[in-house]
Amino acid sequence: MIAVYLCTAIAVYAAIRVIAERNTMRKLPFLNVVSFAVTGIIAFLLPHPITILAAAAYFVGSTLESNAIASTWAGGIRKP
Amino acid sequence: MLDEPFRILIAALICWLNFMTVDLIFKLPHSGGVSGATAIAQEVEKGGGKLNGGYMMGNLVSSPDASAGTLLASCGVYCAGLPGGLFAALLVYIGNRICYDPGYAGTTGCISATFIVYGAVQSGWFAASDFIAGMVIAILTIQGLSSVHASRLIARLWKVRCRFIPEDKP
Repeated sequence: MIAVYLCTAIAVYAAIRVIAERNTMRKLPFLNVVSFAVTGIIAFLLPHPITILAAAAYFVGSTLESNAIASTWAGGIRKP
Repeated sequence: MLDEPFRILIAALICWLNFMTVDLIFKLPHSGGVSGATAIAQEVEKGGGKLNGGYMMGNLVSSPDASAGTLLASCGVYCAGLPGGLFAALLVYIGNRICYDPGYAGTTGCISATFIVYGAVQSGWFAASDFIAGMVIAILTIQGLSSVHASRLIARLWKVRCRFIPEDKP
C-alpha cells in the first residue's frame, strides 16, 4: 500500500505549494495536482464499481471550479 | 512481479508518455481552449516560462484532458476491470462537454490508457493501483514542480511535434 501513502504525500505537498504561491493564476496548476491525488485516494479507499462515478464527479467538478476561477480572473466570457 | 516502488515508477513513465503523446497530437499547446487557460499561459510566460507550454498547462487545469483520462481509466480498471475503464471514458467525455471542450483528447487518452492498464494488469507485471499512483506522479512532474521548466519542456516537445507535422506550426 505504498501507492495510497504516495498519493497522500503528493496531495499534501501540492496543497502547501498552493498556499505558498502568491500569484492566483499560478496557484491553479498546483490545485490540479491536488485534484488528481484526491481522485486517486478516493479510488484507493473505496474499491467499488460506483467509485468510478464518485471519482469522475469529484474530478470534473474540481476542474470546472478551476476553469471558472481562471476564466473569471481573466475577465469573464469574451463576447465575439 | 517487481517491487511496488519500481512498478510505480515504470507506470508513471508509461502514463506520462501516454498522456503527453495524446495531448500533443490533439494540439493542446497550440492555444488556450478557454480564456482562463490563455490567462494561465500568459502568467506562466511572465514568470519566465514558454507560452506554448503555458497553454497546455492552462488547458490541463481548465478541462479533463488525456491526463485526467489516464487517471480515471486507471481508477476504472482498478475498481471494475475493462468495463470500468470504458465507463470512465464516457464520464470523461461528459466532463469535457461540461467544461466547453470538444472532448477528443480526453476520450482518446482514456480509451488508450484503459487498454494499456488492462493489458499491463493481465500480463501479471503490474497492478492497476500502480498506474493510479504513477499518473499522480506524472502530473506532479508537469504541474506541480516548476511551471517554468515544465512549460519549456512542453514547448520543446511541441516544436518536435510541429517538425513532423509542418502544417500545425504554432
